[in-house]
Amino acid sequence: MAECSAMRESFPLLLTESLDARSRELTHQHIESCSECGAEWLATKETWRLMEALPELTPPPRMRQRFLAEIGVEEKPVESNILSFPKRTWARWLSQAAAVVIVAGGSYLYGHRTQPVRLAPQQATLNSIQPVSIAESRVVKSSALSPNIEGRPDIENVQFIDTNPNDDEVSLSFDITQHMTVTGNRSDKSMVQLMAYVMQNEDKAQPSTTRAIDIVKQTYANSHQPEPEIAGAVARVLRNDEHEGVRIKAVDTLKTLPTATSETREALIAALKNDPNPAVRIKAVDALAKIAASGQLDQAAVDTLRQKAMQDDENLYVRTKAAEALKKLNP
Amino acid sequence: MNHLSDQELMRIVQAGDLSPASEIYDRYSGRIYNFAFRFLKNAEAAEDAVQEVFVKMIKYANQFHGDAKLSTWLFSITANWCRDYLRKADNKSKETEDVLISLPAPLEHGPDRALEQREDELRVQRALQALTPEQREAILLSRYQGLSYAEIAQIAGCSEGAVKTRVFRAMETLKKALTTETRGGDRWLNAVQ
Ligand SMILES: [Zn+2]
Repeated sequence: MAECSAMRESFPLLLTESLDARSRELTHQHIESCSECGAEWLATKETWRLMEALPELTPPPRMRQRFLAEIGVEEKPVESNILSFPKRTWARWLSQAAAVVIVAGGSYLYGHRTQPVRLAPQQATLNSIQPVSIAESRVVKSSALSPNIEGRPDIENVQFIDTNPNDDEVSLSFDITQHMTVTGNRSDKSMVQLMAYVMQNEDKAQPSTTRAIDIVKQTYANSHQPEPEIAGAVARVLRNDEHEGVRIKAVDTLKTLPTATSETREALIAALKNDPNPAVRIKAVDALAKIAASGQLDQAAVDTLRQKAMQDDENLYVRTKAAEALKKLNP
Repeated sequence: MNHLSDQELMRIVQAGDLSPASEIYDRYSGRIYNFAFRFLKNAEAAEDAVQEVFVKMIKYANQFHGDAKLSTWLFSITANWCRDYLRKADNKSKETEDVLISLPAPLEHGPDRALEQREDELRVQRALQALTPEQREAILLSRYQGLSYAEIAQIAGCSEGAVKTRVFRAMETLKKALTTETRGGDRWLNAVQ
């Protein structure tokens, strides 16, 4: 009898096919050999079947609206391959499958720009990456990241989207062994480090560094908060990058950053002195002139400007600009 | 978004981006609503349950571990909410009168069939209401939501053995209620013949 009740307890499991093969076999054998349990089994099966009479209910649509309203999510139609959501600080974007995205928002953006800025992936960077499985994608808050980026991870395929120019929220997406999106305030320490890192390391190819500098310029130019890490990173790009187009962008960016650090000044002086490309030197002298006007120039910079103004074999524009900058210093 | 797994959607939510909320809602609101409705036999309370479960899912998203099943976690929150609801004594009286939920059956089955279905539904609903809350919870999750005893044990906070017993006892009660009574539909059919 104890066996009978144990068998009967297993009937529901038999109905949901949840018994292992051996228990299933034993139960069936018992049902066949014990008439009472056989009858119970039929009754249980019948009861199970009758329970089907309960229809499946569909929740009223107002419940869905109520929930989404409560958490502040509204739905919008899909725009290209980015799903954008209403302008809440914490519900904004989603990166998809193999698209890797840098998203930056902030009050820095030029007044007329209201559309998301989207820089298409460049050929040069796409060649080098494997298709990224969405299963490996991660979205993290920059505040949850350590500001120290360990090693020199390969970062690839960076994109930039601004979903809301009216706040300081910034997001970066890229491939780094996995598909990753980082979001946070643009002055957040980790975000700054990441921006600086991406600019200096992303792909190590000209088109992508150019894009990275563009992103940095758009994010931090004319911002009220000085970001010395960013300035330093741009300065290092100016010193080290072999592509003149990149160095020109770097000088332009240094010129628009709110404050000049010593590293900025030194990089500009070095560029003015030694850069083989006249366009870079012209931009550098422009940037130094601007810094001179704000009274942040040191003696070494003044000396370089003086030297350039008098250098016979220098480009005429560079000489003129250097002279103008000196005039501003000593009116 | 609909190609992402539950875990992937939750990771996005955990990162502070609520955009997957509607997708998760669409995946589970129906099941949670049905469970809460049958458990509480109260449409209004079932709606509140769904609302609170999903709001909690967002609020406590970080408590969800990626290696757990989202359905188990959501049903845990739901079952807790429903148990709390029943515990508040005055909610007992709010049980909805025996209302028939199902839509009228398609006409090709004829009016007799439609009435029979409605009576069957009512009988099952009443029989479920006669179970203890523990038994009802277990049978609803097992029979209607297809959850394993291990998952139900996690949700109910008891052993798998206890779940087995609860489901068995529930089935015993339901068997008596559903198979021994004369079926109203039959009675009605006999009357019109
Ligand atoms: Zn037996």
